[in-house]
Amino acid sequence: MTPRRLLAALALLLAAPSASAQHLTLWHAYRGAEQTALDQVLDAWRRAHPAATLDVLAVPFEAYASKLESAIPHDHGPDVFVDAHERLASYRALGLVAPVARASVTAVTARFDDTAVRALTAAGDLYAFPLSVKCVALFINPTLWTDPAPPATLESIEALRPRLPAGTYPLVYESQGAYFHAPLLHAYGGAMLDDAGRYTFVGPAAERSLRRVIAMTRAGVIPDEASGALVSQLFSTGRAATAISGPWLAAELGSRVPFRVAPLPALADAGGRLMEPYATVEGAFVSSRSHDPSAAIALAEALTEVPAAVIRARVGRQVVATRDAWTADPELARDPVLSVFREAASHARPMPTHPHMRAVFEPARQAILKALRGDRSPRTALEEAEHRFTDVTRPLPRRRDATLALLAVGLAAMGLVLNSLRGLRDPVFRRDLRRSLPAYAWVTHAAVTLALLVVVPLVIGAVTSLYATREGHSYYVGLANYVDILTARGGPLLATGSFYRVLLVTVLWTVANITLHVSIGVALALLLSRPLLRMKALYRVLLIIPWAVPSYVTALAWKGMFHRQFGAVNALLTTLGGEPVSWFARFSTAFAANVTTNVWLGFPFMMVVTIGALAGIPKDLYEAAAVDGATAWQQFWKVTVPMLRPAMGPSVAMGAVWTFNQFNVVFLVSGGEPDGETDILVSEAYRWAFTRQAQYGYASAYAVLIFLILLLVTRRRSPEALP
Amino acid sequence: MSRRTPWWIELLVHAALLTAVAFALYPVLWVVTLALSPSGTPSPRALPWPEAFSLDNFRAVTLQHDAAGRWLFGRQLFNSVFVAVATAVTSVALATPAAYAMARMRFVGDRAGMRVLLATQMFPGVATAVPLYVILDGLRLLDTRAGLVLVYATTALPFAMFQLRGAFEAIPRELEEAAMVDGATRWQAFFKVVLPAARPAIAVTCLFAFMSAWNEFILAATFLSHEDAFTLPVALQRYVGEHDAAWGRFAAGAMVVSVPVMAVFYAVQRHLVGGLTAGSVKG
Amino acid sequence: MAAVTLRGIRKTLGPNLILRGIDLSLTKGEFAVLVGPSGCGKSTLLRTVAGLEEPDSGTIVLGDRDVTRSPPRDRDIAMVFQSYALYPHLTVRDNLAFGLKLRGVDPKEIASRVSEVARMLTIEALLDRFPREMSGGQRQRVAMGRAVVRRPQLFLFDEPLSNLDAALRAQVRVEIKRLHASLGATMLYVTHDQVEAMTLADRLVVLRAGSVEQEGPPLEVYQRPASRFVAGFLGSPAMNFFNGSIDATGRFAEAPGLRVSVDPARFATLPPGRPVLIGVRPHDVIPDPDGAIDLHVEVVEPMGFEAYAHGTVGGVAFVARLDGDAALPRPGERLPLRVHASSVHLFDPTTERSLDPGRS
Repeated sequence: MTPRRLLAALALLLAAPSASAQHLTLWHAYRGAEQTALDQVLDAWRRAHPAATLDVLAVPFEAYASKLESAIPHDHGPDVFVDAHERLASYRALGLVAPVARASVTAVTARFDDTAVRALTAAGDLYAFPLSVKCVALFINPTLWTDPAPPATLESIEALRPRLPAGTYPLVYESQGAYFHAPLLHAYGGAMLDDAGRYTFVGPAAERSLRRVIAMTRAGVIPDEASGALVSQLFSTGRAATAISGPWLAAELGSRVPFRVAPLPALADAGGRLMEPYATVEGAFVSSRSHDPSAAIALAEALTEVPAAVIRARVGRQVVATRDAWTADPELARDPVLSVFREAASHARPMPTHPHMRAVFEPARQAILKALRGDRSPRTALEEAEHRFTDVTRPLPRRRDATLALLAVGLAAMGLVLNSLRGLRDPVFRRDLRRSLPAYAWVTHAAVTLALLVVVPLVIGAVTSLYATREGHSYYVGLANYVDILTARGGPLLATGSFYRVLLVTVLWTVANITLHVSIGVALALLLSRPLLRMKALYRVLLIIPWAVPSYVTALAWKGMFHRQFGAVNALLTTLGGEPVSWFARFSTAFAANVTTNVWLGFPFMMVVTIGALAGIPKDLYEAAAVDGATAWQQFWKVTVPMLRPAMGPSVAMGAVWTFNQFNVVFLVSGGEPDGETDILVSEAYRWAFTRQAQYGYASAYAVLIFLILLLVTRRRSPEALP
Repeated sequence: MSRRTPWWIELLVHAALLTAVAFALYPVLWVVTLALSPSGTPSPRALPWPEAFSLDNFRAVTLQHDAAGRWLFGRQLFNSVFVAVATAVTSVALATPAAYAMARMRFVGDRAGMRVLLATQMFPGVATAVPLYVILDGLRLLDTRAGLVLVYATTALPFAMFQLRGAFEAIPRELEEAAMVDGATRWQAFFKVVLPAARPAIAVTCLFAFMSAWNEFILAATFLSHEDAFTLPVALQRYVGEHDAAWGRFAAGAMVVSVPVMAVFYAVQRHLVGGLTAGSVKG
Repeated sequence: MAAVTLRGIRKTLGPNLILRGIDLSLTKGEFAVLVGPSGCGKSTLLRTVAGLEEPDSGTIVLGDRDVTRSPPRDRDIAMVFQSYALYPHLTVRDNLAFGLKLRGVDPKEIASRVSEVARMLTIEALLDRFPREMSGGQRQRVAMGRAVVRRPQLFLFDEPLSNLDAALRAQVRVEIKRLHASLGATMLYVTHDQVEAMTLADRLVVLRAGSVEQEGPPLEVYQRPASRFVAGFLGSPAMNFFNGSIDATGRFAEAPGLRVSVDPARFATLPPGRPVLIGVRPHDVIPDPDGAIDLHVEVVEPMGFEAYAHGTVGGVAFVARLDGDAALPRPGERLPLRVHASSVHLFDPTTERSLDPGRS
């Protein structure tokens, strides 16, 4: 054999296994029992396909969509991923998903429930194999609702109120969430969004639904500001007769608590119309960039086959969309929870798939909150929400020709090059440059990595601000984003959410925090610097603990502590004889909650800096002042403060910049509540990028404006004055 | 100054400090309470003390295994430690020579460099996550620990450089000059004299870089695509879902994540005062 | 052979001209002291010799090697810093051994040289201490030891005594002189303290604003200062100055309240009526009822073996040194004084250079 033939044979040998071996990746955001079930299904698949390798990734829910959106176009995404049907439209717009079958191929579609197939179909193609249908149902505590028949109407649940002790509620659900409010709205004949993507959570039906929630809250039928965690806690500890929640609650309750499930009741007030919940259909999608589409489709379909569906139903407690699973395993049909959820799903309304649906939740939630708190009449609250929705979904600025900008950039670059070439001819500059050469050996590596991983992303980010981006499409618009922001999108300049209003809040936020950080830090440092203080070391270690704990953990802890009904702060207030405060209902208190949290996080840093700075003040200065007759108070102002100022200046300046951009606290504690009033510029930018249809260009324009403001403010200081 | 103070002033001082300590510890105690409570959900009480003790949350968090039977928690702990330590080492290794040059040498572009460093601190990260993803992808470092370390290290770099520049400026120039007269090259003087003298500041800088990497989860969740490559904060984040949150698990995980940082913090804290202000006190 | 030769050293720092062309040459074994007020460039000159600063122009030759562009480590020099610059993380022993280790000297050799130097400077008991555990005087010794142990061809001292108290300073001064005698090495020493300058130097170099104002053996510089600046800088209390003129005879210099004879050997050529700046050191006056210096006494400082009378002569401040055991004048009295012609210094009032043709 010639060497060439040998090589060819070797190539064949190497190619052969890789051609038959499949390597697939699957992503999901399941947790708990659902994850266990999926893992079992996938294990079975692995056993059946020994030649194939399968990577599975459970992604945190918050990061799921954005991770998919960035990974798939760069070929780092999964072949198959599990997601809800309402994202289908935007995934299609982004080109992330490929059809798995024609919807007309009944051999495929007939295997599933009709609603599920409809939800996952677009333009005649089926885009995902339906896995399960999720909707909410009514959980019943049989010791509090003693009637063996489930409540027929919401009114019958309300009637429980007088018979239950204080602190126990007839009904719990996340009343401020648009998703949970929808059944009530639907019963009154309203809707959140119409098929054309127009906002419809306004008008008489919407107002009636809001008034109903307000009435129930006032009457103590439902608790205030119930979070998902609170719902499950109240119900699982027997402090709620009924709860509106999804299958996840059943999984969480397990066998600890006796409960029954029923479809949502009707609403007598609305002529006995049923409360139709939203249904979400989860499907196994196939990525458009899968390198082996047929294998990916096969895997996605395998998840829906009867044995797999049975496992998902029995272990994962999913309401599976595979019809035959329900007949194949008779226990499933008899299951008191699953069967009820399946029945509830058949009355449910599929969540609208229009991309605008994602822009509904935030304004709708705000409208409900504002009405619940009594800040606004239901009508005004709803109208404001509609305005916010229009704001977010407003048409993008028109495309502009980038030639001129490119030309300007090119000319500027050429000028820069020419200028530096001219500089190179200058002998003084050449001498300086020659003398600098040794120093460059020390800085180059840092400069290069910084340029590549900090400066370049920053520049790209800044350039993005000249583009309109929404849902993955982008084109050049010049300065339109800036014009939009700086004119407050045509609204009043100081309206909530306008740039100037948010800037004002940001400045207030920065000033309040820095003032408190510095004064508390200095005060504690002064106390800790007393020469004869006992237990000094212990105090110091305990006082820097807030600095050592990860800030997202403590931010969430503080959020919990500020909870209206179950937070420790209100518990403390009532113990001291005060009235509980609804912290996130008003700007002042929500802002105070944010500031408290951030002060807690930040004072140890200032304290430590001050301790160091105090150690640098010569003792004889105090002695001189004391001899001169200065009181302790005068010594503080005439000696300590002037001496601390230069030492602490850089730290305070740095702290101010960080506080200005302190995203974690605002986002995690108040989350901008009420109605975005406590948002600062960074969290506002974040919302545009990640919760308002991925308008990266718009968010980048915010980022550039933040940058310019900080640059302008700190410009007066020379680089030496800053750290 | 060292006159004895009246007892009631002493009492007031301790009262003030104890109030501050209570303020500092209160939320932390709540996290502990939550982690130790079997129900795992907050109850409306002023005192952070669990109604019943249970280690279930810790067991659930630390004994987590993946489908293949691998000890997931162990791997993720290892990842976190590896990434955080490597970040601290990389950023300090990158920052020290550069910060030294900034502190001691005049060269063309030094002021511009400082301005750029400052400027990087002002640009919010919201706008840079997506470009970073593309760059890491281009470097073939996406979904690798090395890529994550590189991003964390460069993010921590500007602050490390400010920090160390201050520390180096506080070290008398004569020390290096003595070393150079004694026969050292500039690099030898740097390694044998300046670095040992700057140890406290370097320890503190390492700590900050370590903490930033140990606590970060947004970029980690975006860049990593293998569960056994996740760091602990990403895993922790998974306990907080869309509709339900396993707060007890989250709290237990939070404690597991916090304890090592606090331990490192405690080890370095005696340097904290000197290390943090070395540069600024001088003026 | 010259141990150190500096030719035309110029140096600017930013916009400031620090050294304006310094020429200086030291012979082997010579102890030269650079003295001058702060800001005169003496430290910069020393650092230029050390290689810590690079001159803009000029050459530095050590022995027979041009080291102008060489780094410090190639110059075979040792330096004692004002702040001592002991390595804080090393023990005294390691501080001493640092330079030898860098040069790859055999460890046994290092040990023996360290202990020899420690004995010489009586710091054996300190060898295992860290710098922060020692007093200022002890640190100073270690700093010197670190220089000595290297056996360099040139020692540089940058105000090494200025952080010590007065008593210790006097003691270490003597020790440095002894060290110089026993090592026989060339030394270049920077100080602003005229006592150190006078006592230590074989050769005194007075610097002013980046130029050499005068150089020579210390006594010669003291006795025949080349300018008002040098005359005023050396000697304590400082020289008294008067604006006056040569009288008609040409043999006296006059100013209000004062008439002193002019040494014809030094100032023969001065024409009558020439305006001059007259300088008289406090130590050179003697009370004499016939004296032509009319001191109006205001304050008397008795020091025991001597005393200083402060007052005015013709309205100009004047200090006179008196013997301590003599009957001291009282404030308000007049005290006539005389001065020997050889102790009268005359300067040109405008250039302030000495009018002694042998100086200037």
